[in-house]
Amino acid sequence: MARLNAIPGVPVLIACLAILLIWDLLSRVVMVSGLPPPWGALQEVPVILTDKESLVNILASLRRMSIGFSLAVAFAVPVGLLMGRSRLVAAFFNPLFMIIYPVPKAALMPIIMLWLGVGEMSKILVIFLGVSLPVIYHSYQGSKAVEEKMLWSAAAMGLGPMARLLRVVFPAALPEIMVGCRTGVVLALITMVTSEMIARQTGIGNIFFNALDMAQYDTVYAMIIVIGILGFLCDWGFEAVRRMLLGWAAPVHDIAVGSA
Amino acid sequence: MSALHAVWRRNISETLAGALPIVLALGIWYVISAWNFAPASLLPSPVTVFRRFLVLLGDPQFLQNAGATLYRLFVGFGIAVMLGIGIGILAAGNRTVAALMQPVIRVLAPVPKIALYPALVLMFGFDHSSKIALVVADALFPILLATYQGAVAVDPKLVWSARAAGASQTRCLFTIVLTAALPSILTGARIGLIIACIVVFLAEMILSTDGLGQLLVRAARNFQTVDMFVPIIAISMLGLLLNAAFNMLSKRLLVGFPSQN
Amino acid sequence: MATDMIKIAGVSKVYDTTQRGRHVALGDISIDIAEGQFVSILGPSGCGKSTLLYILGGFVEATTGQVLVNGQKVTGPGPDRGPVFQEFALFPWKTVLGNVMYGPLQQGLSKEAATARARELLVLVHLQNYEGFYPKELSGGMKQRVALARTLAYGPKILLMDEPFGALDAYTRTRLQNELLDIWGRDRKTVMFVTHSVEEAVFLSDRVFVMTKSPGHIRKVFDIDLPRPRVRAELLLDRRYQDYVIAIERLMDEQIEEIA
Repeated sequence: MARLNAIPGVPVLIACLAILLIWDLLSRVVMVSGLPPPWGALQEVPVILTDKESLVNILASLRRMSIGFSLAVAFAVPVGLLMGRSRLVAAFFNPLFMIIYPVPKAALMPIIMLWLGVGEMSKILVIFLGVSLPVIYHSYQGSKAVEEKMLWSAAAMGLGPMARLLRVVFPAALPEIMVGCRTGVVLALITMVTSEMIARQTGIGNIFFNALDMAQYDTVYAMIIVIGILGFLCDWGFEAVRRMLLGWAAPVHDIAVGSA
Repeated sequence: MSALHAVWRRNISETLAGALPIVLALGIWYVISAWNFAPASLLPSPVTVFRRFLVLLGDPQFLQNAGATLYRLFVGFGIAVMLGIGIGILAAGNRTVAALMQPVIRVLAPVPKIALYPALVLMFGFDHSSKIALVVADALFPILLATYQGAVAVDPKLVWSARAAGASQTRCLFTIVLTAALPSILTGARIGLIIACIVVFLAEMILSTDGLGQLLVRAARNFQTVDMFVPIIAISMLGLLLNAAFNMLSKRLLVGFPSQN
Repeated sequence: MATDMIKIAGVSKVYDTTQRGRHVALGDISIDIAEGQFVSILGPSGCGKSTLLYILGGFVEATTGQVLVNGQKVTGPGPDRGPVFQEFALFPWKTVLGNVMYGPLQQGLSKEAATARARELLVLVHLQNYEGFYPKELSGGMKQRVALARTLAYGPKILLMDEPFGALDAYTRTRLQNELLDIWGRDRKTVMFVTHSVEEAVFLSDRVFVMTKSPGHIRKVFDIDLPRPRVRAELLLDRRYQDYVIAIERLMDEQIEEIA
């Protein structure tokens, strides 16, 4: 068991099988109403992934997600780094972010749609809002923790303030930034799914509610599996990238969960 | 004396700097609506919105919806706290449980729980239970992970000291390890609480017959812009209040612990 | 009187580290300690002397060999063996009084009796005026006094002291050594004292076991034949004390040369 667990991927596979097994037991032995056995849903997964319309829907959603995520990172990292190095900048933004923190970002969808219409802009903006805060927070923490003496040495070597921020603070804070990005990418997916479930116009949310309306329950569950796999892949892919870039840093255990 | 003065001055200027963006945002909002840059149907004036908020605070129907939201939030959060702390501590005390739990969590933690909501509605119906189940699913993981990580990080010598004094292993787990992990557990629970607050609102927006989230959707359908803002402000203020209350509770519970940042 | 209270027979400890294979922390150790003796284990850092103490305490399991206390095999921690750690390991959420009461309460004493017992011990360690303080409000020396009182409170027959004064400044260290001898002189518990300070070991002990570098073996045993009660200022002038210190220092120098 222990040796099997050491092979990468095996524990995850076992975990997936265990989840499916529990699902199966719940549906057939406990007979939870509204819960079909997993096999029908599993068979539906390739159907969704080969159906042209749903594939277009999913890809469009992923595209919005990556644009929103990239924009958020591009905005959040510099803001976070500056906050960590300047007390004034931190004092300026902190109360604002504290107020924004408990606002359900995906819930802004109806208002944003009122302003920007139902197009891509609204959806990307909501994802941007959902991702920004955790990335700012982690960049801020990372940059705040950079050792002062490291900056003194850099200054002594003749680096100006901009160069110090770019060449000392940024790499030193990178492990923490990556933690923020990992949380952020999962949050991007969550916000994307949530806002589309609220808007019900296109994308993943559309597939969901079409299936619900037509009582195609296997499709509903298959969609959950697809989104679940997406979530796991986002997280796992980011962790892989992080390990590749930051072999030197100690592994960071973070609570990579959040909500839109 | 002058050093103290300088600290004071810095504190004041930092408070002012912090208030600036908030005042600015409210000011711009006010100016846009007051000078008719945007029609009131798109962006009502902040004064109208807050006045409406105060009116609704006395409206029994609004309060009933808010009550439904609060009920789901607290029941779900309570279940998540019990499950999260229980499973987390068990996993910290037992290697087999930990080995079983870790991969399952790695798979389930990054899954957007909101996607489960349609299934939860199919299983539990439109009423409270489906929303409570979703809150549990969403708030559970931060609490569970924080408990487990906090408990694993407890200095073994603390446990040894208790064991030598005659406490049994199980007793140690639930008195010493659990208490020593409390700072981490409370951090996780605070994150879980805010998540619960957000997710119950979202669930009510997606499929519900009542609750604050449903009020927002209903207002959007009827193009009552003012009534769209009020639920969002209500849930955000609730989140802020709960956050502050939780911090106060934490401070009381963590007497004796070294202060955290 | 000279019954062997502690019999350590052929104890070794091997750690299975997954990445670097096996690490032998402790060689083959056999020691007998008579009742009422103050014994020090002296060795360079990483020689496994603390591990030996943890095995005796029942906190860590030996890979081979066994430990007998009063003829009983050690299978786990017990109130007959009280540990005092370098890191104090006080319960941060309990007050000084609460920490010291913990043992008596676990032993089934009533709250009143436990309070009375704890107060007695706080007088013994000169902390009667600090019972309402939390550990974080105390200095290192005071924390270690509380830890000692907490352990003494449940009346162990054997004290297991793991570099207890290692984290303290020189002045506090000397004071606590004197206080420890004072307390020990009252009821002559059996003490196993782990340290890397030669002077400390000679000053406190009846016997000093000198260990080799990792994996630790017992290199030599010194019977410290110095009169008690011991007074530091007098001992420093005592030829016999000087000879012990010099002989042990030489032995430890030899080890360093052997490695180099």
